Amino acid sequence: MTDHVGFSVRRVWLIAGNTFTESLRQKVYNILLIFALVVIASASFFAQFTFGEDIAQTASYELKSIKDTCFGALSVIGMLIAVVGTAMLLPNELENRTIYTILAKPVRRVEFLLGKYCGTVLLTLVSVVLMTLMFGAELVFKETRLVADARAESARQAIPTDAQQLAQQIAKIHAAAFDPDIVKAVLLIFVKLCLLAAITLLVSTFSTSMVFNVAVTLLVFFAGHMVGIARDAWQGHALLTYLLGVLPDLGLFNVADDIILGNVIPWAHVGKVVAYGGIYLSCVVGAAQLIFATREI
Amino acid sequence: MNAIRTENLTKKYALGWHKGRLLALDRLNLHVREGEVYGLLGPNGSGKSTALKCILDLVTPTDGAAWIFDVPCPQVESRLHVGFLPENPYFYRYLTGAETLEFYGKLCGMKGAALWHRIAELLELVGLAPARDRRLAGYSKGMLQRIGLAQALIHDPRLLLLDEPTAGVDPIGSRDIRDLIVRLKAMGKTVLLSSHLLAQVQDVCDRIGVLNLGKMILEGDVNQLISDQRRLSFTVEGLPAAGRQQLEAAARLAGGTVVTVEHPQTTLESLFLAAVNLDKRGAGHHD
Repeated sequence: MTDHVGFSVRRVWLIAGNTFTESLRQKVYNILLIFALVVIASASFFAQFTFGEDIAQTASYELKSIKDTCFGALSVIGMLIAVVGTAMLLPNELENRTIYTILAKPVRRVEFLLGKYCGTVLLTLVSVVLMTLMFGAELVFKETRLVADARAESARQAIPTDAQQLAQQIAKIHAAAFDPDIVKAVLLIFVKLCLLAAITLLVSTFSTSMVFNVAVTLLVFFAGHMVGIARDAWQGHALLTYLLGVLPDLGLFNVADDIILGNVIPWAHVGKVVAYGGIYLSCVVGAAQLIFATREI
Repeated sequence: MNAIRTENLTKKYALGWHKGRLLALDRLNLHVREGEVYGLLGPNGSGKSTALKCILDLVTPTDGAAWIFDVPCPQVESRLHVGFLPENPYFYRYLTGAETLEFYGKLCGMKGAALWHRIAELLELVGLAPARDRRLAGYSKGMLQRIGLAQALIHDPRLLLLDEPTAGVDPIGSRDIRDLIVRLKAMGKTVLLSSHLLAQVQDVCDRIGVLNLGKMILEGDVNQLISDQRRLSFTVEGLPAAGRQQLEAAARLAGGTVVTVEHPQTTLESLFLAAVNLDKRGAGHHD
């Protein structure tokens, strides 16, 4: 009678925790994260405009510029962290032979792969949260300065702005700074990063080169942003449209520009995109496991 | 019960487009009995590591099958009672010795006080107790090999697979590992040892198998295989020159032929160990 070894969430979590700590102590990760935080922290220095007399209008431009820089840093550096972090996982394990010692224990390959993936997702989550906190701090800092400027400007004028007008200006600045839809954009950026990490994981199950893993994912990244345009252009071509379905439609996740412009993104739309991302990345991780289950190590 | 059994275990590796396949393992029938130390010998590329990988389900055999304690190797349950030390192991560099063992112990379902007691016991056993809180990035090759042995032993497995356990280790470390294998055998563990250090294998193994180009070309009990049944040797102490001539004459008279008469030699390893042990300066001595 043999003891049965079932799928264990505990082992997945253990490997994920180990992967997370391992990545956290990599120099490349720390450099990328520090760079992202510096870019976000310095966003307000690149966003100082003077458009006419309307303080609220100027503040709106400045805040838009800050959001643009911060969303860009979140998206680009977040992608580098998620993709480079995942691309190194399996090649490092194989090169250092640590994978032998783990798979020689009663550990299922699916637990190993999921553990590795969850470790990267955790790393990405921590990075996105830290960058978002810095983004928030930046907005608070800018909003405080803009409100102070508005008050000072009002006091400086020959005929001071009346209290109601000042209050309206401050309310406009406040609304522009603390747009709750920012959370939606950050959420979709995070799901997109998880999706890209899953694609990198899939590539690394049949490749041993980190550079190859990153290169293929970047190709998918660029192709994924063209899907929407290509679908419109290739309407009527059944085969091409079908082929496009294989690629992730990454354009769906880019709501940041709309939010910067002040457009409202309904939660229903966000929910649909999150569900699409979740289903797509589940399929990709499933495919990665199918390949990894039979991979010669 | 056999700890390991393989039947016609065959592995061919694809060499690339239109380059055919390399036969790494050719119909290996291996039977490692429970409680014995079995040495798998062979030159580089003979298929030793491939055999271990097939047994651990790290690679899929092209043909044949393997069992560990009668459980088919593709089943994860076959690895419940196995500890494995790969050749030249590296571990997570940022973990300390104790954290490394904690990670592997938890992977095997251990936890709490029992796990920490086992960690302390193993660090003591492999001589790494003073380095338990040092990161593995600062470990020497010999220390990595020892922590590798400790992780293989963490869940007190019945079977140990050791791939070149003394590769790159100095003679003292090598001797310690050899002593440890002897102790494990005394504890009733089964050990499958892959090596090309013949003297060491001869010292610790009950049986050996020799692989060459993927095929088992020789197998049997070590003592039987290495003893020359046609010759006898005597080691005599305090014999005067006249006595030696009488002995040689007696051997000839009885119908034998004296082939060699020589002073017995120590091994270079023993000489080295004796010299180092005599040097009492201790670790950390500087000019």
